[in-house]
Amino acid sequence: MDVLGGLLEILQPTTLLLIMAGTIVGVLVGALPGLSSSMAVALLLPFTIYLEPIPAIAMLAALYCAGTFGGSITAILINAPGAPPAAATAFDGYPLAKRGEAGKALGMAAVSSVAGGIFSLVVLILAAPALATIAYRFGPPEYFALTVFGLSMLASISGKSAVKNLIGGAFGVLLATVGVDLTTGVERFTFGVPQLYEGISFIPVLIGLFAMAELLDQAGQKDSPLERFNMSALKLPGLNDFKRVWKTILRSSGIGTFVGILPAEGSTVAAMMGYNEAKRWSKNKENFGKGEIEGVAGPEAANNAATGGAMVPTLALGIPGSATAAVILGGLQIHGLRPGPYLFENQPNLLYAIFFAMLIANFVFLGFGLIGAKHFSRISLIPRQFLWPTVFCLCVVGAYGVGQSMSDVYIMLVAGLIGYFLNRAGFSPAPIIMGLVLGHLVENSLAQSMILFDQDLGQFLSRPIALFFFALAILSIASSPLSAWLKGRRRADAPAYKDLNE
Amino acid sequence: MKTFSRIAAGAMILATVATTSMAEDYPSQPIEVVTHASAGGGTDTTARTMLIRARRELGVDAFVQIKKGGGGAVAMSYASGKAADGHTLMAITPTHLITMARGRAPIGIDEIKGIARSTDDPIIIVVNKDTGIESLEQLIESSKSSPVKWGGTQAGGIDHIAAMTFANKSGAKVAYVPFDGGGAIITNLMGGNLQAAGLNYGEAVDGIESGDFVPLAIMAQERLAILPDTPTVGELGIDGVNFSTVRGVIVMKDVPADRAALLEEKLIKGMSHGTYQAYLSGIGLDASSVAGSEVWDAQIREMYDNIYTTLGELGLRK
Repeated sequence: MDVLGGLLEILQPTTLLLIMAGTIVGVLVGALPGLSSSMAVALLLPFTIYLEPIPAIAMLAALYCAGTFGGSITAILINAPGAPPAAATAFDGYPLAKRGEAGKALGMAAVSSVAGGIFSLVVLILAAPALATIAYRFGPPEYFALTVFGLSMLASISGKSAVKNLIGGAFGVLLATVGVDLTTGVERFTFGVPQLYEGISFIPVLIGLFAMAELLDQAGQKDSPLERFNMSALKLPGLNDFKRVWKTILRSSGIGTFVGILPAEGSTVAAMMGYNEAKRWSKNKENFGKGEIEGVAGPEAANNAATGGAMVPTLALGIPGSATAAVILGGLQIHGLRPGPYLFENQPNLLYAIFFAMLIANFVFLGFGLIGAKHFSRISLIPRQFLWPTVFCLCVVGAYGVGQSMSDVYIMLVAGLIGYFLNRAGFSPAPIIMGLVLGHLVENSLAQSMILFDQDLGQFLSRPIALFFFALAILSIASSPLSAWLKGRRRADAPAYKDLNE
Repeated sequence: MKTFSRIAAGAMILATVATTSMAEDYPSQPIEVVTHASAGGGTDTTARTMLIRARRELGVDAFVQIKKGGGGAVAMSYASGKAADGHTLMAITPTHLITMARGRAPIGIDEIKGIARSTDDPIIIVVNKDTGIESLEQLIESSKSSPVKWGGTQAGGIDHIAAMTFANKSGAKVAYVPFDGGGAIITNLMGGNLQAAGLNYGEAVDGIESGDFVPLAIMAQERLAILPDTPTVGELGIDGVNFSTVRGVIVMKDVPADRAALLEEKLIKGMSHGTYQAYLSGIGLDASSVAGSEVWDAQIREMYDNIYTTLGELGLRK
């Protein structure tokens, strides 16, 4: 009954129109590096005061959903992730576009985003209050174990050598230590520069390592003849592609929903884990990083599932599951609503209305994404001599836009140079980004755990959930030497065949 | 030639008239409110909601200018570099006071003047009900055998300073656990990893109403109207532990007094409107949050002194 009531609240012409508008703004804002959905929601907030609560929050929630998808467009086309959650999409999306399969990558991003989004929303509509309590089970020790599990894929995240991946990851973790330390209040590596006091912001580094580094690389090839892709670049993915990735999409949707529910995690971490697991279970591991379609589906399904997941603690507990969810929480408060158990009991209509708004938003951007894919992918037909100078402007504006400060632009340029030389030396940006994303979490959650445990490391043993993730991490690290050893044994067992074949 | 000089003289007179009337006609250009935090955070939302009506009261446009970095240091150097003509305001929080006290700000506490307070959210000491603790004395007593795990935001931030000031003045033993944000503190207090935390009313209300959190005392001069049975820390015989998540606007002290007075009057009038009041009640506050220059300026200075002392004791001040 509540569910139906919520649906009826949403099916009003103005509300639908607002959801539509929110979705389109979301896709555009998400696609532009430097403009984030949390910023767009914050800027729209004052205007929603004149609306009724349900249409207002429906519009903001739709914008949030669509923004996460939008980031993938620029990640695929010009290697400039429009938002941090799309970083992992660039790992394989850009190589696909470079190979002349932009349409396929964009179409796959749209479909898997929607699948992830719908999956998480259905789970939420069915079980939001019960799921919300998962958040209470996750303290610092559990986060630490989960992050260690995430980092266990570091050595194999890109096809480059394991040692180089580890060096890259360590560099990323090192970057994450810049700024005032959370648990001691001491400044690290700030060199007295106030702009570094709050740490290095994530977006300029992302734009630098991906887009700027690629731009410098492209500039080095300026004398090579113009190459043109044929119109097949606009082709959308076919049924065969979907047959290959449905398992990945399903797995990533589950991961994304779970990670999204945990407050303080969020879409970026969800996308990283979605990518990791897509690679781990894939039959084509060696193609990852070179343009594997599963590498697009994995992170995209996960990051959109996480947006739904993030709304669970936000609405059910009043605890924001992500930065944008925090702003939406502020929006509810402006309308005099208090998210939390109270809201769940007294205004279930409102909650279901929000979920349905997000569901409708998913369908709107599916249409927008699929129609758009054909047109957006034309960008990959632009000769690079014309495309990349434009991308440079976008990089500068994007880096500046984050905090309206020139220091972010300098960080972006430096990151670009570093990325360029690292690429040439055979390093991939993927482990650096992963180290940067997970570095904060791994360090802070360990420091917090140690205070909670009175500096006694042994107390980790008393936390079953943490032990479970530690075990997964050990399995993850051990699995590749183990499978190599098993292969070796099988070969040793069957020398006769080998001889015959030769 | 004669005609030209006449015209020129006329134009000069006109120009003079124009500038004098401009000076009296304050505000004559858009008002800029400098903030230090990202779009969508509490400070940003408060400033934007305040400006909705303030624009109408002031008769000019007003906008939020975000200058992130350095715990407010970047915002402070930007705002102090603008002309002191009353067109630049700065939204400040305890973060700015801490940055000043740590000697990292381009300006000192004596160079600013409080105009109006927009939110005043005192810190409430709450414990998880499973601890069985029902009074502040019990908390202090039990902490002596094993330090109380007390959650808050970043080390060196206002929550940390409040917790440690309380510990110093009461003799309680506090193991302070810093978290990234308010949400994590509440989930960990709920989940039993933490025993106590200093929370704002808006953060604690759900837990208090469900009975999971027990409010022990309020770090303010007076009790809260919404929690009439919870004593202040001062009532329990521990003086000088007044900490609050306050936000308000200031100008540089060189701004002419008549302009500062006009700003104060218009901003307070704007904040008494229903739009801002609805926002306040949404975050668990009431009309008493809004206060004028006299109260706000004194509060900034008292809090600054407390911060300065405790940072020194924590070894976090140069």
